[in-house]
Amino acid sequence: MSQNPFQIIRPTDKPPETIRKEVMSSVKLVMLLMRFVQLFMADYASSLFDKVRLLGPSDTHPKKNGGPGTDR
Amino acid sequence: MSKVGNESALSDEELVASLQQRMDAERFGVLYDRYAERVFQKCIGLTRDRDLAKDLTHDIFLKVFTSLKQFDHRAKFGTWLYRVTHNYCLDHLRKQQRHKEVELDDGVAGHLVDDDPNELRLMGMRADRLDQVLAAIDPTDRALLLMKYQDGLSVKEIQEVLEVGESAVKMRMMRARERAMVCYHELFSEGA
Repeated sequence: MSQNPFQIIRPTDKPPETIRKEVMSSVKLVMLLMRFVQLFMADYASSLFDKVRLLGPSDTHPKKNGGPGTDR
Repeated sequence: MSKVGNESALSDEELVASLQQRMDAERFGVLYDRYAERVFQKCIGLTRDRDLAKDLTHDIFLKVFTSLKQFDHRAKFGTWLYRVTHNYCLDHLRKQQRHKEVELDDGVAGHLVDDDPNELRLMGMRADRLDQVLAAIDPTDRALLLMKYQDGLSVKEIQEVLEVGESAVKMRMMRARERAMVCYHELFSEGA
C-alpha cells in the first residue's frame, strides 16, 4: 500500500545489444587513433633527432677517429 | 577469448587498474557488461527519453574509456561512473533546454532538518502523478530526487557525486522537494 512511488516508476529497460556493438567499435576506433598518434609522434621525434645534430662553431665535420676531446 | 573469462572474475578496481596500465577493448567490454544496464536506466530516468538515453549511454561509456586514466581510485568505480553519468546527462539537458542553474545559498542550510513534511507528501504521492511531476520539474531537481528516493543514495554519497558539502546537499534536496510539491499543486490543483 505505502510502497515508495519512486520505486514503482523506476525504469526497468534493458540496454539494446546495438549499444554494446557501437560502444565497442567506437572504443576500438579510439584505440586505433591513439596508436596512430603515438606512432606518428614517436617517428616524428626519432626522425627529428636523426637529422639534427648540434655542432660547435669549429666542428664542421665530426672526426673519423673519436670526437674533439680525444685529440692529444 | 578465455582472457575475458578470467577477467570477469576481477573486481571493478582491479579491472580499471589493468585498463589504466594498458587499454584493451575486451576488458573494457567486461566493465560495460557490468554497468550498462544501470547507466542506461539512469539515463532514461534523467532524460525520460529512451532514444536519447541510448545515445547518452554510448557517449558516457566512450567518455569513461577516454578518461579512465583520470580515475584516481579514491572513490569506488561505481560511484565515479554514477557521477560521470549524472553530470553528462545534466550537461546535455542543460544545453538542450538552455537551463540556467540557480546557485543555492549554503549559508542558510544550518537549520535544515531531515524530517521535511514535503518528503512525506512525495512518498505518499500516486506513482502516475509523481511520474508527471518528475517530467515537469527542472532536470537538476529531478536528478537529486531520483538519487535519494529511487537509487537510495545517502547524503554522503550524494555529496561525492555532486562534490558539494553536506549542508548544500540538504538545502538542494529541500528546495527540490518544495519545487516538486509546487509543481504537483499546479498540475493537480483540483485536489490531491
